[in-house]
Amino acid sequence: VTILRDVAAELVGMFLGDARLALATLLLVAVAGVLARWQGAPLLAGGVLLLGCLAIVVGAAVHRARREARR
Amino acid sequence: VHPLAWSIVMPAVGSAFLASLVEATEAFTLVLAAASLGGGRPAAIGTTAALGLLAGAVAIFGPLLEQVPLAALQLAIGVLLLLFGMGWLRKAILRAAGILALHDEAAIFAAQTGRRALGGWMAGLTAFKAVLLEGLEVAFIVIAVGAGRGLWLPAGLGAGAACLLVLGLGLALRRPLARVPENTLKFGVGTMLSAFGVFWTGEGLGIAWPGEDAALAVFGALFLLAGLATASLLRRSQREVLP
Repeated sequence: VTILRDVAAELVGMFLGDARLALATLLLVAVAGVLARWQGAPLLAGGVLLLGCLAIVVGAAVHRARREARR
Repeated sequence: VHPLAWSIVMPAVGSAFLASLVEATEAFTLVLAAASLGGGRPAAIGTTAALGLLAGAVAIFGPLLEQVPLAALQLAIGVLLLLFGMGWLRKAILRAAGILALHDEAAIFAAQTGRRALGGWMAGLTAFKAVLLEGLEVAFIVIAVGAGRGLWLPAGLGAGAACLLVLGLGLALRRPLARVPENTLKFGVGTMLSAFGVFWTGEGLGIAWPGEDAALAVFGALFLLAGLATASLLRRSQREVLP
């Protein structure tokens, strides 16, 4: 039972270890999906997805660094 | 696999190999500690059982996912790769900048072996759990980077090769592999998985990337540049705060 619980915790941590990063990514994918499917602008959606992901990873690292600096 | 699809095959196999190298190194430290506390034989049995379970999961889920409609599969796997890959990249940036401590295999081994001796059964269970938990990430990477293109087998072979390499080196040295540049490898894998994530998610949403598969290399280069620049910036700003 402990091993199963640890496996479940590991799986959740793999994808949702940083809640802000996960939420921002899911929102970004939703926006890219709307642009690609309903606005008929797949290339714009691709650009938004790529640049958005770069911004999210940089933002998540900077946010954590600032939090560590305040400690 | 199309013979010219090397722009996909190489990053897929490379990601699986490098990720496996990182995780196998971490698992080996814990298995070695379990072996020194409770005996080599039970630790070997625990390790083999966990590896068998992980290989079985890949062998079942890899082909099973081929039955899912391609666009839905690419979108689901792409989003998971984004969440996972960007998480690894973020952590690697923070470690490279000196904000988070680097993984120290020698210190972990010392802490683990500082505990009281384990019975044979417990040593086997400890090794099983260590390999299973560390290997989960590798199993996910193998399934994810191989999905949609039938690449789970070459990716699995890449991961297996890394395991054998770590095991061979570890058994020859009989100590933790403290000199494996884990964060550099993690940086590379995070970069590749993030690039795969953008690529698959986009394809799942119906985006036809300019340059098709070659776009993957461009995405990888952009994530790498952004990661290195952020790490450098954070390292410099930390030095200014702490002279």
